[in-house]
Amino acid sequence: MLASKKLGTDFHQSEKQTLFRFSALYILLTIIIISVFSFIYFELQKDLMLQQQKSTLQKYSKELIENLKQLHKNFDKTQIYPRSDKFESAIFDNEKKLIFSTTKTKLRLDKILYLENETIHLVNIPESYYLGARYIIVKVKDDKQWLEQTKKEIIIFGIITFLFMLTIGYILLRLFLKPMRDAITLLDEFIKDTTHELNTPVSTIVSNIEMIDRSSLDEKLLKKIDRIDIGAKTISNIYQDLTYLTLGNKIISNNEDIDIEQLVLERVQYFTSLALAKKIKICTNIIQNTILYADKFKISKLLDNLLSNAIKYNKVGGEIVVSVENKKISVEDTGIGIAKDNISKIQERYKRCNKSSGGFGIGLNIVSTIAKEYNLKIDITSKENIGTKVSISW
Amino acid sequence: MVKKTVLIFSLMFCFANATVYEDNCIKCHKQFTPSIDKYFYKYLLIYSSETDMKNAIISYLKYPAKETSVMSDAYIDKFGIKEKSKLNENEIKQAVDVYWEKYKVFGKLK
Repeated sequence: MLASKKLGTDFHQSEKQTLFRFSALYILLTIIIISVFSFIYFELQKDLMLQQQKSTLQKYSKELIENLKQLHKNFDKTQIYPRSDKFESAIFDNEKKLIFSTTKTKLRLDKILYLENETIHLVNIPESYYLGARYIIVKVKDDKQWLEQTKKEIIIFGIITFLFMLTIGYILLRLFLKPMRDAITLLDEFIKDTTHELNTPVSTIVSNIEMIDRSSLDEKLLKKIDRIDIGAKTISNIYQDLTYLTLGNKIISNNEDIDIEQLVLERVQYFTSLALAKKIKICTNIIQNTILYADKFKISKLLDNLLSNAIKYNKVGGEIVVSVENKKISVEDTGIGIAKDNISKIQERYKRCNKSSGGFGIGLNIVSTIAKEYNLKIDITSKENIGTKVSISW
Repeated sequence: MVKKTVLIFSLMFCFANATVYEDNCIKCHKQFTPSIDKYFYKYLLIYSSETDMKNAIISYLKYPAKETSVMSDAYIDKFGIKEKSKLNENEIKQAVDVYWEKYKVFGKLK
C-alpha cells in the first residue's frame, strides 16, 4: 500500500495483493540467495583456516609418530603413552579399533582434516604401524578467531547486499508498474475531462425541466418532458458518480446527523420517474427511523447507487423495497441477481457482471468506498433471476 | 553350581591353550635371540589389527617361507626358515591366541 502511494497510484485490492506477493517473493528469494552465498563463504573460510592449521597439526603428528616409534622399540620396558600439552591424540588399529586416546570424546576417521566440537582434527597414516597404530589423530582446540571475523564479514556483506537488492527490486517494481499506472491515470484523466465537459449542459437541462410549468402542458408533451427528465437525471447520476470517483479522495467530509427516513424518501422520490419508465414499483418500508452521523452528500450517493442498480438490473414491471430499521438500510429488487461466484468481486472498480445493461461498473465500488469510510457493513444476498438484496448496517 | 562348573571349564581351557603355547612355542624360542616378544612387535608393525596379525602368524606357521616372513634377510640368512608346524589347525589357533593375549598393546598403555 505504501509502495502504491509512493508510486502515485491508487491500486485495487487484488493489485495490492499482487504487489505484496511479488515483494514477499522477491525478499524471500533475496534472503535465500544471500544465505546460500553466506554458507558457501563460511565453508570456504573454514577450509582456509583448516589448511592454515594443517601444517601445525602435521608437525605434531610427526612428533607423536617419532615418540610412538621409541615406545614400540621399548615396549617391554615402558608402557607410558607419549603426551603433549600442545595437542591431544589417539591411535587406532587398521580395523579402526581404538588402541589409546588422551581424551574421551568420540573420534571420526572418515575425513583427513575436520572441525568438530570446536576442535580441529588431523588423521594421519604412518608408514609403519608402531604399536599397531594404523590411524593417528592429533587435535587442537579452535581459537575461533576466524569464526568471529567470518561472522562479521557475512553480516556486513549480507546487509549491504540485502539493501542493494531491495533498491534493485524497487526499481524493477517501478518499471513493471509503469504500464499499469499509465493505464489507470489515462482512464482517470479521460473521465475527469469528460465529466467536466458534461457538467454544464446536464445542469442546464435538469434545472430547465424543473422550471417548466407542467400544468400548462398537454399529456403527450408531458410524457416527452418526463422522458427528457429521466434521461437528464441518468446522465446527472453518472456525472456525479464519476466526479465522486475521480475526486472522491479529495472531497472533505462534512459530517452531520442524517435523518435516514427523510433522506430515503427524498432519494426514492428522485428515482420515481426513472423507475416508472420500466414500470417498476418502489415501496418504502420504514420500520424504525434511524440517524447516521456522516456526510449527507456521500450517503445520498450511496443510496442513489443502490437505487440506480436496483432499477437498472430489475425486470420490467418489477418491484423495489427500500427498508429502514434500527441502524440498517436495505434495498431489495426483483432483478436478474448476481451469480454466487461474482458476489465477492462485485465491489471492484469497473467490474460488471452483466454487460447487457448500461453503466461503467463503478456503482458498487462507490458504495464500498463510502461504506469503508464510515465503517458501514455491506451485506449482499442474491439469487440469480430472483433478485438481490443489499443491506447497509452500522 | 553351574557358575563353578563354567569357571572350572574355562580355567581348564586356558590352561590347555597355555600348555600348547608353552610346549610348542616357548620351548624352542627361549633358545634363540631375539626373544619371542620381538617377533610379536615385528608382526604388529606390519599387520596392525588382531585379526590380520593372527591370520598372518597362523599362515606363516602352516606354510613358512622367506617371502612371508616378517624378519629381515640378514636374520633369515643367519637362522634360516623355521620348519612347518606339526600342530593341527586348532592347536595353532590356540597357541596364537595365547601369544596375542600375552603381548597385545590393548589395555596396557598408560
